[in-house]
Amino acid sequence: MSILANKDTYVVIQGGVAGVNAARRMAEFCYLIKRSLNVLAFVYPPDAGKTNEIPYGSGLVAVPIYKTIAEATHNHPQINTSLVYIGADRAMKGGMEALDDSHIKVVSMITEGVPEKDAKILGAHARKLGKVFNGPSSIGIVSAGSCRLGVIGGAFDNLVLSKLYREGSFGVITKSGGLSNEIIWICSQFADGITTAIGIGGDAYPGTDYVSYLEMFENDPQTKAVVIVGEMGGDLEERAAEWYGAKKRRTKLIAVVSGFCQESLPKGMKFGHAGAKEGLKGEGSARSKSDALKKAGAIVPATFGALGPAIKEAYQELLKSGQVKEPVEPAVLPKLPKTIEEAMKADEVMVAPLIRTTISDDRGDEPCYDGYPASELINKGYEIPHVVGLLWDKRLISKQEAEIIKRIMMLSADHGPCVSGALGTIIAACAGIGMSQSVAAGLIMIGPRFGGAVTDAGRYFKYAVDNKLSVDDFLAYMKKNVGPVPGIGHRVKSLRNPDKRVKELVGYVKSLNIKTPCLDFALAVEKVTSVKKDNLILNVDGTMAAVLVDIGFPVDSLNGFFILSRTIGLIGHWVDQKRQDSRLIRLFDYLVNYAAPKRREVPPLK
Amino acid sequence: MAKVLEGPGMGLMKKWGITVPHYVVVTSVDELTRLGQANEWLKKSKLVVKAHEALGSRFKLGLVKVNLDLPAAEAATKEMIGRLVGSITVSQVIVSEMIPHKEEYYCAVKSTREGTDVLVANCGGIEVESNWDRVKRLALEVGQQPAAEAFERLAKDAGFTGSLVKKMADFAGKMFACFDNEDAQYLEVNPVVLREQDSELIALDAVTLLDGDAKFRHPDWNFAFAAEFGRAYSRHEMEVMAVDSKIKGSVKFIEIPGGDTAMLPAGGGASVYYSDAVVARGGKLANYAEYSGDPPDWAVEVLTDKVCSLPGIKNIIVGGAIANFTDVKKTFGGIINGFRKAQSEGKLKGVKIWVRRGGPREKEGLDAMRALKNEGFDINVFDRNTPLTDIVDMALQK
Repeated sequence: MSILANKDTYVVIQGGVAGVNAARRMAEFCYLIKRSLNVLAFVYPPDAGKTNEIPYGSGLVAVPIYKTIAEATHNHPQINTSLVYIGADRAMKGGMEALDDSHIKVVSMITEGVPEKDAKILGAHARKLGKVFNGPSSIGIVSAGSCRLGVIGGAFDNLVLSKLYREGSFGVITKSGGLSNEIIWICSQFADGITTAIGIGGDAYPGTDYVSYLEMFENDPQTKAVVIVGEMGGDLEERAAEWYGAKKRRTKLIAVVSGFCQESLPKGMKFGHAGAKEGLKGEGSARSKSDALKKAGAIVPATFGALGPAIKEAYQELLKSGQVKEPVEPAVLPKLPKTIEEAMKADEVMVAPLIRTTISDDRGDEPCYDGYPASELINKGYEIPHVVGLLWDKRLISKQEAEIIKRIMMLSADHGPCVSGALGTIIAACAGIGMSQSVAAGLIMIGPRFGGAVTDAGRYFKYAVDNKLSVDDFLAYMKKNVGPVPGIGHRVKSLRNPDKRVKELVGYVKSLNIKTPCLDFALAVEKVTSVKKDNLILNVDGTMAAVLVDIGFPVDSLNGFFILSRTIGLIGHWVDQKRQDSRLIRLFDYLVNYAAPKRREVPPLK
Repeated sequence: MAKVLEGPGMGLMKKWGITVPHYVVVTSVDELTRLGQANEWLKKSKLVVKAHEALGSRFKLGLVKVNLDLPAAEAATKEMIGRLVGSITVSQVIVSEMIPHKEEYYCAVKSTREGTDVLVANCGGIEVESNWDRVKRLALEVGQQPAAEAFERLAKDAGFTGSLVKKMADFAGKMFACFDNEDAQYLEVNPVVLREQDSELIALDAVTLLDGDAKFRHPDWNFAFAAEFGRAYSRHEMEVMAVDSKIKGSVKFIEIPGGDTAMLPAGGGASVYYSDAVVARGGKLANYAEYSGDPPDWAVEVLTDKVCSLPGIKNIIVGGAIANFTDVKKTFGGIINGFRKAQSEGKLKGVKIWVRRGGPREKEGLDAMRALKNEGFDINVFDRNTPLTDIVDMALQK
C-alpha cells in the first residue's frame, strides 16, 4: 500500500512545457513498473485540441490537450489527480479549477513563487472540500511500485538505483525537492526503500502539512516508519512533534532539521527556502524544532550524515521484530530504450550515414569551410571568392584568381530588367510574391538560352584544348555532334558593337601573364566564326567559361558563377519593386500575336 | 518576505485610510528646504528626522533626532546624509511631524497557517514587549472578512473603553484591510498614538513586510524592497541577484565576512544542511550559496566566479543531493568554467575543492570534475555513495 498516489491514480497535467517534461518522467516510471501511462490529459488552453506526444518505452503515446479541467475529466472520468505547472500569477485560478472538479481528489502544485495568500486560500479550500492540496513548490509525490506524480525520483537510472520499482516500508516527507531524492536513495540503501515520498514544498505555509501526511502514513499498514526532513522557520515540525507525542503511534518517526548554522551567523542573516525564516520572536529555530521532536519520541540524528545509520537501525529493529521481511528483488527490470545518440555514445549501435559531405562542418562553435574556420579566414584577409573556391572546388585559390572571380561576379551581377531572369523576378514581385520565391522565379530562367551556357561553353572549349583540336576540327565536331557553339554568339552585340564586359575581362586576364589556353582557343574560334557572321562573337558566358577553366575550376561548377552573380541582381529587382510598392502587371494585348483560331461554335458533345 | 522602508510602508497604510503623520523622504538638504517652503506643517510642527535605510538600532547610532524645528531638521539631515554605517551609506532621511500625545497603543496583523491574526494592546512602545499578556488576538480564518463588531470585541477585550473602543476597532479594521489587500505578511504599528488636538488614532511607527511573490498584482509597488540583514547588499551579491532574476531555476549568494569555508552547493534544502555541517565541525562559513531548478550553465559560472573571489578561503564545498532534474553535467560545466577562470586569474591557490553530487548525467559530470586534477586543481570528487555532508567532515579534518 501507499498513500495519496497508487495504481488507481490517473492524472491531468495543467500547464505547458514544464508539464510535458514531467509527463515524460512519469512515463519512464510507468514503463519501469509496467503500467500504462497514467497521464491521461493536459489542460493548456493555447494548445487545446492538439496532443502532446509522450515517449513511452520505444513508442509514443498521444495525450490530448483540453481547454478546461471539466473537458478533461468529462472525456477521461478516471482522472482523480491534477498536477499544476501553471505560472505563479495564474496558479491560484488553475488550482481552484482543479479542486472544484468533482472527479479530482488530489491537487499537487509544482509552481514556485506563488503568493502566500493564494497558497493559504487553496489549502483552506481543499480542507473544506475534504481534498488534498499539496505544495506549492512541490517536487512531486512518488509511491514506489505504483505511481509517480511529477519529476520526483529523478532520471530513470536513479529510479532503479533507489528501488522505486517495488515497495519498501518507509514513508518520506520533505520540504526540499533535492533532498527528497537523497532520502529515497538513503532509504533504499540503508533499509528496504520507501512506500510513498512526498515533497510538500519549501514555502511558509504548505497546503498540507506534516501532520496530515503523518496521519495518512499511520493508517497505511505497509508504512512502518516515516522520515521527515525539516527546516527552521514556521511551526510545522513542532506540530508534527506534538502529533507524534500525543499518543502511542504505530509508525516510527525519524527526523532531521536544518538551520543550526543560523546560531552562528550574523544577526538577521537568513537563507534557504522561503519558509525557512525564523519567527519574529525567535520561535521556529532548528534547535527548538529538533528538541520538540526528540521530546515527542522521534529519532533525531545529530546531523544529516547520521540519518543513514539511524534509518538502518530502525530497519534492523523492524526486521528483528518481524514487522518487515527482506524484500525480494525482481529478476529482470525493464531497461529504458536508449536514443540513437545515447546508444552511439555507448558504442552499442552503428548507423549508416544517410548523406556524406566533404566541404563544410558547423558542429563546432563556428562553421568551417573545407576545414578552415570562417572567422580565421576573415581575420587573415580572405574574401568571398576564396569561400567560393573552398566550397566549390575545395581549394584555397590565389589572390590573383580571387580577383578574377570578383571581376566576373561584378560583371555578371545584373543586366537590366528586360532579360528573362530579371523579368521573371519582377513579374513575381509585382504579383506580391515573397523574396525567395520571386528570386527563384528568375533563377529558373537560367538555362541553355539564358545565362546557362557557361558550363557547356567551358566543357567544349576544354575538350578542344585537351584533345589539341584545331579551330576547324572543333567547329566541324560541334556542327556534327552539338549544334551552335555554346559561348559564341549574341542577340544584340556584334563585331562592330562589341560587348564591353568581354573586352574588360579578356583585357584584364591577358594583362596577368598567366597561361590561358582555353581563352586563347575561344578567341581563335571567335576569329573564325565572326567572319562567317557578324554577331557570332565570343559572348560573356564563353569568356567566363574559358577563363574559369583556365584557372582550374571544374566544368560542372561553371554555371554557378552566373547563378551566384545574377542572384545579386535578382534580389535587387525584387527589393526595387517592393520599395516602389509596384502593382500587379499583365501583358498588353498589343504585345501578343493572337494566332489562335478565330472564335467559333462549340460542337455538341459526342 | 520583503521588508519595506517606513516611507513606502506609511504610504500603503495611508492608502487604506490609516492616519499617519505628515512625512517626506528626502535625499538632500536642498530638497527639504524646498519642501519646507511649500508645506506649512514642516514650518509649524516639531519634527523627527530618521535615516531612511534598512538599519537596526538607529537610535543608538544617532540616526534618529527628535523635537526639531525646520532649521534643526535641516542640520540633522545634512549630518546624516552620506554617513557610512557598516556597509550602508545613508542616502535618504525621512522627516515627519511629531504628534503630541499621552497615550500609546499597539496594533499588528500577521500571517498564520490558518489565516490571519490581528493583535491589539492598550499599551504601546517598549511597554508592550514586557507586557505581552496584554496583547489580545483576533484569529481570522483564510478568506474571512470580519464584521466591525469582531474588531470592537477585540478592542474591548484588550481593555479599551468608551469612545476608544470604536476608534481602535476602526483602526484595526483598516490595518486588516491594508494587510489583506496589499499581500502583506506582517504589519505592525507601535505605537499607535492618540493625537491630543483631535483625539484621532495615528500610526506613529510601522514595520511592513510584504510578499515579494505577489508583486505581479501590485503595479503601484514602485519602491525597492530593503535588505533584511541590516546591511546593504554587496556588489557581488547584487550581481548574482541580477542573474537570478532573469533565469529559469535559481542562483543565490550571500557573503559572510571572515569565514574560510566557501560554499557552492546545489539545492535550497541541501545547502542549509551543508552550512549546518560546516558549523557543526567548527568551520567558519565564508558565504551562503545555492543553485537549483536546472539553471543555465552560465549562471552557475557567474556564481562560481563570486565564490572563488571570496577572500581567505581554504576549502570550497561543491555539495549536492541527488538531483531530480538539474543536469549535473551541464551545471558542473558552469562550475568548471568558473574554476578555470579563477585559476587563470591566480585565485584558488592552496584552496581545496570538495565535490559530492548525484542526479541526471551524474557520471559524466563527476568525471569532468575529476579530470580537473590534471589541470592542477586540488580537487576531491565523490558520488552518491558518499553520504551528503561527509565531504565537509573530510574538508575540515584537522
